Amino acid sequence: MRLLEFQAKRIFSEHEIPIPKSVLITSVADVAGLAFPTILKAQATVGGRRKAGAIKVAESASEATPAVEELLNTTVKGHRVQAVLAEEQVVVERELYLAVLIDKVAKLPMLMASSAGGVDIEAVGRDSPEKIIKKYVHPSVGLPRYVLQYLATQLSVKDRMADLTSIVEKMFAVFYGYNASLVEINPLAVTPNGLVALDAKILLDDKAAYRHPELFDQIKEEQNRLAKSEKSRAQQLAEEYGVTYVPLEGEVALISDGAGTGMLALDLIRDVGGRAANFCELGGLAGTESMQQALEVVLANPKAKVLLISLIGGLTRMDEVAEGIVNYLKEHRVTIPLTVRMCGTQEEVGRAKLREVGIETYDDLPTAILAAVNGVEAD
Amino acid sequence: MAILIDEHTRVLIQGITGKVGSFQAKIMLEYGTSIVAGVTPGKGGTTLHGVPVYDFIEDASRNHEVDVVLCFVPARFAKDAAIEAIDNDIKLLVLTTAGISDQETLSISNYAFTKGTRVLGPDTPGLVSPGKCKVGVHPNRVLKEGSVGVVSKSGALSYEVCKQLTENGYGQSTIIGIGGGPLWDITQRDTLEMFENDPQTKAIVLLGEVGGTMEHEAAAFIETSVSKPVISLIVGRSAPKGAQMGHAGAIIEGERETAGSKIDALIKAGSHVAKNPAEIVAYLRKLGV
Repeated sequence: MRLLEFQAKRIFSEHEIPIPKSVLITSVADVAGLAFPTILKAQATVGGRRKAGAIKVAESASEATPAVEELLNTTVKGHRVQAVLAEEQVVVERELYLAVLIDKVAKLPMLMASSAGGVDIEAVGRDSPEKIIKKYVHPSVGLPRYVLQYLATQLSVKDRMADLTSIVEKMFAVFYGYNASLVEINPLAVTPNGLVALDAKILLDDKAAYRHPELFDQIKEEQNRLAKSEKSRAQQLAEEYGVTYVPLEGEVALISDGAGTGMLALDLIRDVGGRAANFCELGGLAGTESMQQALEVVLANPKAKVLLISLIGGLTRMDEVAEGIVNYLKEHRVTIPLTVRMCGTQEEVGRAKLREVGIETYDDLPTAILAAVNGVEAD
Repeated sequence: MAILIDEHTRVLIQGITGKVGSFQAKIMLEYGTSIVAGVTPGKGGTTLHGVPVYDFIEDASRNHEVDVVLCFVPARFAKDAAIEAIDNDIKLLVLTTAGISDQETLSISNYAFTKGTRVLGPDTPGLVSPGKCKVGVHPNRVLKEGSVGVVSKSGALSYEVCKQLTENGYGQSTIIGIGGGPLWDITQRDTLEMFENDPQTKAIVLLGEVGGTMEHEAAAFIETSVSKPVISLIVGRSAPKGAQMGHAGAIIEGERETAGSKIDALIKAGSHVAKNPAEIVAYLRKLGV
């Protein structure tokens, strides 16, 4: 989960990473309390806000009022803005980049830094990789002092060694403390008064949500209130149930019981000229309830003209998911054609259960896909 | 031969008394796997399907030789279970658990490295050497002993492909699921090396997907170090960029992470690339395997 800037900065502030003074405003009336000049930053969980026009400078209340009004009604990359962070303007001498993340190939935490901050760091990495410093930080070794000294030299902030050390140490504290996948400051400003985090990006690992329930609840509640993204009914349901759901443009609604087989089905649908309405997979351990939930999710998409359920169970038991299908059909009227492909663990029991409600299953995936895609054309 | 497991492999199951562990243990026993012990804290002293259950691996180790630990412990407790297995000098830990946080996976992986344990997974269906030993959850009907080595990130995709292989008379040496990522201890490259060195394996099927760059590392290894024919299938050709396609690791975050880029690299490295399981069989026929 990506935090909003003000949420990430609240965590920075709790850890005493220096940030500019700021106020979160949610209506034009809040402009009255601001000090000027101020930077107005639309709160949305997307990158490239400056380019998208979602960050504005206001010298006075008369400038701030229309700017806030505009920002609060804007949509940035599909996110409707509900809050603006009004921040004190600081004197910036230079902009640096700092991040703590997991290097997936080395399987180690990594400290990344660059003297080219304030811009898209991926572009820097592509165009001038020599400007990016990467240092692994092994958990059992900690942060070596030489790394900090090297960093201070490379970033030309040797006179700010104490500031830099403190900020990097605290970024690691946030990284480990909240099971983060990324803690990023871009830009980290060099100012006459020291180093200041002008922006803050934190990605939390959803898989660790249960380790930090209060934080996750608070973040989610705030985002639901302040950063509504434009989501369909199907997407909202999928989030509520924790079902993997990716909306697509076509007509063939798809439920699979694994990511790999689901992507294969998606590719095969396209190869025979069909168009998938969505990608939806239940993970390796699907059951009766998750099948019922997945059905509710994919059928909430009005564009779905046929439904293909493709199952090949290992951990997933066909008797259990068949029961989910049967239960759903008892409670709901499904008006679009349904094609089921079923094989794997407990397949005999699963098939028998479906036969009782008049559903014959396929064993072969390509045949089932053809049947489903042809169902769209027949419609 | 086969890789990693064979008819002599002795298996211990963590979480054997849970719903999934108990159900899958029964299927593995029926398949002929030698499950020598199970561990569930608090259930020590009982037996399940005739297998003795212990509170700790250390207790089990006093009475049994264990080569492989298969873990069915839920994500919340999986790191602890994994550390216990590593502490007991197990050579191979098969971690079926999905949903372990990345930082915990890192800890497991780094600790395993210092102790010489190899970890398969997390989020793996396990592995099977058909006719010899099954340490996983693969449906039995898709398995057949033979000479095709199969490595896959996805469990279900390997079932799809093995179903096709088996129905067309192509048996498998070992089917190994490395897990849905985004972090792996045993990689595609590692298994390619094992299959290359395994006399039973005559051809290798590599099943990959969008996300990460592991298939590029595999391609580089194929080019320099694999003499056996490799047939690859990369799924997610039609996956949109930036969307999480089920697996934690299956998300396109850069050009090299697309199916197209991986397919190009594999073709360049000398692998055959199939678009679907039927084409894999067609390549095997053509190659005369």
